[in-house]
Amino acid sequence: MGRRFLWSQTAYRFLLGLYPREFGARFGSDLEADFGELLRTYGVFATWRRVVPDLLRSVPLTHAGARAARKRARVLAGKGDRPMRSLWSDLRHACRVLRKAPVFTAVTVITLAFGIGANSAIFSLVNAVLLRPLGYAEPERLMLIYEGFGGPGKIGVSPPDFVDLTTLQRPFSSIGAYRTTQYELSGTGDPERITGVRVSAAVFPILGVPPAVGRTFVESDDQPGQDVAVLSHGLWQRRFGGDPSAVGRTITLDRRPYTVVGVMPAAFQFPKRGPQINGEPAQVWTPLALDPFERSQNARGMMYNHSVIGRLREGVTSGRALADIGALRSRLIENYPPVLREPMQSLTVTAVPLAEEIAGEVQRPLLLLLGAVGLVLLVACANVANLVLSRAVTRQREMAVRAAIGAGRGRLLQMLLVEGLLLTAAGGALGLFLGYAAVRAMPAVIALSLPGVSDVTLDVRVVLFTFALSALTALAFGLLPLAANERRDLTELLREGGSRSTSGARRHRLQATLVVSSVALAFVLLAGAGLLIRSFERLMAVDAGLRAPRVLTMQVSLPRAGYDNPQAVRSFYRAMQENVQAIPSVRAAAVQTDLPLDGDGERRAFTADQPVNPVFSSTSVAVTWTFGDYFRTFGVPIVKGRAFLPEEDAENRQTAIVSRALAERFWPGQDPIGKRVKWGIPASQAPWQTIVGVAGDVVDGRLGETPILHIYVPFAEAMDQAPAMLAAFFRRMSVAAMTEGDPAALVRPMRGAIARIDPALAVADVTTMSQVMADAAAPQRFSTVVLSAFAGGALLLAAVGLYGTLAFGVTQRTREIGVRVALGATRPEVLRLVVGQGMSLTILGLALGLAGALAVTRLMTGLLYQTEPLDVATFASVTGVLAAVALLSCYLPARRAARVEPMAALRAD
Amino acid sequence: MSKPIPPLGQPPLTPAVFHILLALADGPRHGYAIMQAVEETAGTEMRMGPGTIYGSLQRMEEAGLVRELNPGRHDRRRVFALQPFGRRALDGEAQRLARLAALLRSKHLITDEG
Repeated sequence: MGRRFLWSQTAYRFLLGLYPREFGARFGSDLEADFGELLRTYGVFATWRRVVPDLLRSVPLTHAGARAARKRARVLAGKGDRPMRSLWSDLRHACRVLRKAPVFTAVTVITLAFGIGANSAIFSLVNAVLLRPLGYAEPERLMLIYEGFGGPGKIGVSPPDFVDLTTLQRPFSSIGAYRTTQYELSGTGDPERITGVRVSAAVFPILGVPPAVGRTFVESDDQPGQDVAVLSHGLWQRRFGGDPSAVGRTITLDRRPYTVVGVMPAAFQFPKRGPQINGEPAQVWTPLALDPFERSQNARGMMYNHSVIGRLREGVTSGRALADIGALRSRLIENYPPVLREPMQSLTVTAVPLAEEIAGEVQRPLLLLLGAVGLVLLVACANVANLVLSRAVTRQREMAVRAAIGAGRGRLLQMLLVEGLLLTAAGGALGLFLGYAAVRAMPAVIALSLPGVSDVTLDVRVVLFTFALSALTALAFGLLPLAANERRDLTELLREGGSRSTSGARRHRLQATLVVSSVALAFVLLAGAGLLIRSFERLMAVDAGLRAPRVLTMQVSLPRAGYDNPQAVRSFYRAMQENVQAIPSVRAAAVQTDLPLDGDGERRAFTADQPVNPVFSSTSVAVTWTFGDYFRTFGVPIVKGRAFLPEEDAENRQTAIVSRALAERFWPGQDPIGKRVKWGIPASQAPWQTIVGVAGDVVDGRLGETPILHIYVPFAEAMDQAPAMLAAFFRRMSVAAMTEGDPAALVRPMRGAIARIDPALAVADVTTMSQVMADAAAPQRFSTVVLSAFAGGALLLAAVGLYGTLAFGVTQRTREIGVRVALGATRPEVLRLVVGQGMSLTILGLALGLAGALAVTRLMTGLLYQTEPLDVATFASVTGVLAAVALLSCYLPARRAARVEPMAALRAD
Repeated sequence: MSKPIPPLGQPPLTPAVFHILLALADGPRHGYAIMQAVEETAGTEMRMGPGTIYGSLQRMEEAGLVRELNPGRHDRRRVFALQPFGRRALDGEAQRLARLAALLRSKHLITDEG
């Protein structure tokens, strides 16, 4: 077509957009073709003179036609009652219905949300801590090996014993040793302190996780002087930006260059955080490289601080491995020097599956919470069922009317389903939000107390499962009015008004069952929570043995470079204590190897001189090396004798302070001052140290455990030992300061005090002693708080269920009550009637709950501190609380029943 | 609220509908041919544009007066044909007009030649 019409054609095509879309789509090409014909026949001017009035007339007309067509389509579709269309109308209807019953809707939605939210959160936690795979090849074949000295306590493995075990042991295809350590990472940016693990060459192959880049360690790396490192994925990203050429380059650890040989995958975490020895996830791995001293006979009987991991041979069970490895104790003892054999008789060797070790002590409380939250879900479901059932009665009449005017069963079914789904969707959404909030809050609430808690995520499967369960409950009971209809004559139902139905008795039995189970389940939960609260109270009442409400502590780790001799270490800690002490608001300051309550201090064997019972002269104790005003800083009382003198801090005068329990164990009835102790066994060559004071017992490790025997010695004593003993242990120390004001205000001045000595030194674990003490009780606090919340929720749900059932019963029986009153029943009698009915359900629930609680709380024995699982006071108060709440729930509807006016009641309906 | 649209097939027919039906009485035609036929028979005062033609055809199709031949084929212009109902509507309208004409003639308002 000619170019002269191009503008006209384009303009017309554009104007066609004015027509309705369907019209344009169908006739657009014809219109354009006709327009072209007109142009060719009549020319541009005549064509437009014809087309413009045509457009003005036809555009409104076609739009009117399209509107009419759409309207007709709707009317036509309406006749057919298509499912999708009625679904939409049912949805709107359901919204209206639920809006008209706001209390019912709110209570149901909140109940569902509580059940779904609590379950999702707790199961997600359990999943993260107990169920999530470890990420190692065949992790069920991994076991940790420990030594011990009698009793249930486990300690790490001494290096010479590890060397012996590698050749003696049979059940494992190989074993490897590792030890966590702290490194100062420097080079680029601010120096920081990171956790590293020194691993023997066998450890990575045992775990069975290949590196992402490069290689892991080989035998030749596992020698002193081989400074090579394997990086975690995170450190690799941070320091090298994820560059694969990082392999072969160096990083600076403790101011020495380490050659990077490999990078582990992002998901790899070793060790997994947990309560086991050396259970701190690492960012860098270096070879264990036991030195000649550590392998020698001189290291016998000390350094029980290595973790040993082994991979079971094919077909060997963990039980067999435990028996086999335990039997090796006598072989190990034989290898000790003759003088050590006798005192080492109590040495034991055990093995524990790695997974069990990681979950460790949190397993029981978590399973308890899982059980509890399951009960909560049951109560929630029972309650929802009850609510929906109560409502179903009112709906019966509506159903009958609907059926009478021609609604089919399918149609009614759909309507009820939509209502139930709407309720559960609302409850599920709210519950999901609650669960998500709980999961988000979890790391903050339980902080360090649980392994793996930092990576808790809401578990989709659990959310879906609890959601489905709640939805099923709501639906099953929501459909009951339909089921009831089937058995009944519609006209009868309509005539009766649905208030006295034949299915009433059946419904009532069902409701009574639900109420009784709610009360029983709530009782079990309350009893469990009550026991935990009681136990927690007693735990909190335990005297930890120290008074340190305003103490700030921080930790430093001196790198080997620059601090490889005792003089350097000595002048550092001396300067640190003096600088901190010089801060104006500081009242007392001390440097020490470990903090009270921390439980990660040195454990070693010692011998007491001339004990009252000479058979037991030697045992293992916790040892803390101190410099400065340790006892005043931490508020540990000196019960006898004196604290260390400045001259004892300045140089080793062979003095020690022992804990009261130690003094009473070895010299009962005698004055321990002037008695002597030495490291190691009776035959050891270590010098005797004279006891100058007795300190009060301090809890070490977990609250509620018997305080361990403790010896305090001045730092100077450690500095006197051979340089070989100047291990990383003594370069890692904490400084503590007691202030009269807010300890948090000390953070900056104390950091400054340390930076003045060594500006490159990284400071870590800045915390107050109040926090350390709170952390010590964190697992118990967590279980107690969560279970109490569950029990409170269950109590509330049970009360709502009881109230709802009775209130509904009263409404339904208004006429009957009216008749009773008309026939002479007094108001107190009516009150008694209703309350009696409710309380008989409650008493039945309490009886069942008591039986259940007696069975269940026995499982809690290990979680309770100085509290019997059958604590009478707890059970009595739980019964009292539940009965009181139930009474209130019964009284409110009963009062309404007692106010029924007989004439009004008889006129009703 | 839009005005109710009068039933298209009921007399009296609108001029546009009547003339389109008339144009299709000789056989199926496409839109442009209808436009030309109407112009031939009714003169310039019934001059219609394409929008009016197809708009009317669409409504007449919905009312069952006409139908599109081979509606699946879009490679050429759409061709419309009279439906039986369209033929009856045309007959009805013709008879109404004939009665009207007879009435006018009896009143001598028009002559046979007029």
